Amino acid sequence: MSTSQFIYVTYIRTTPQKLWDALTNPEFQKQYWFGMHQESEWKAGSPWKLLFSDGRVADAGEVLESDPPRRLVLSWQNQFKPELTAEGHARCVYDIEADGDVVRLTITHSIDREGAKLIEAVSGGWPRILSSLKSLLETGTPIPSSHQGAGA
Amino acid sequence: MSKAETQFVYVTYIVATRDAVWQALTDPEVTKRYWIHANISDWKPGSVWEHQRIDGSGAADVVGHVIENVPEERLVFSWAAPGEQTDPAKVSRVRFDLAEHKPGVVRLTVTHYDLEPGSGMERGISEGWPQVLSNLKTLLETGTAATLW
Repeated sequence: MSTSQFIYVTYIRTTPQKLWDALTNPEFQKQYWFGMHQESEWKAGSPWKLLFSDGRVADAGEVLESDPPRRLVLSWQNQFKPELTAEGHARCVYDIEADGDVVRLTITHSIDREGAKLIEAVSGGWPRILSSLKSLLETGTPIPSSHQGAGA
Repeated sequence: MSKAETQFVYVTYIVATRDAVWQALTDPEVTKRYWIHANISDWKPGSVWEHQRIDGSGAADVVGHVIENVPEERLVFSWAAPGEQTDPAKVSRVRFDLAEHKPGVVRLTVTHYDLEPGSGMERGISEGWPQVLSNLKTLLETGTAATLW
């Protein structure tokens, strides 16, 4: 089956637990994710959603796997652009691995569809989100964002 | 997939000036700190560049030629393992594009292209660039680099 996939690896000077908390805590997310945040209980089977700062739902799905602080797998469907919603559910995998005095974070965002617009859209967003997250964890300050809701 | 179609792209946003990012790519004293190699060249188009070990041997692990140099904006060079630089099938190319994302924030895009599909070089650089560029960002933002090797 044809697949569209985006993979991004970043190394962050932190601990797996602090990174897990940064990925799942809504107040922390708002600082590095274009002002957006997520709501979920982060347990397998729980719903999750990504919300714009005005409360509209950007993306939604379900927690497929949750193994804190090592691995989180979400199903992910866009909710605000009809042509992306029509592509169905993507899968977003976070893998967290300690590597010396840093943590390796791998994001694998994929969908069983060739040339998916969703993957094209998130390919632009992830480097900004993860660069800001890395700055925030390492320096205490995220990359300032003048944009809201640039994610997909 | 053909050689012309095989590439690795990595984008990172760094809280720094374009001048600082440019210097970090071209000044061996800075490359030593996050890349554990000295990048040696005068960076003029046509000039040789070498990615030299800093263990005192001066041995190069990567060699190539400078293809394009637009200071603080774009740097392009060829990339090959020593001894393979005369084999066109083994020579790839690296392009750095620097853009001001907003004042004080640089978007750095690294495009490593013309890679031999399925080669050890393709696998190696796909693992290596995220480490090198993560460490570069840490060095410029915190003043110290992580120990990744």
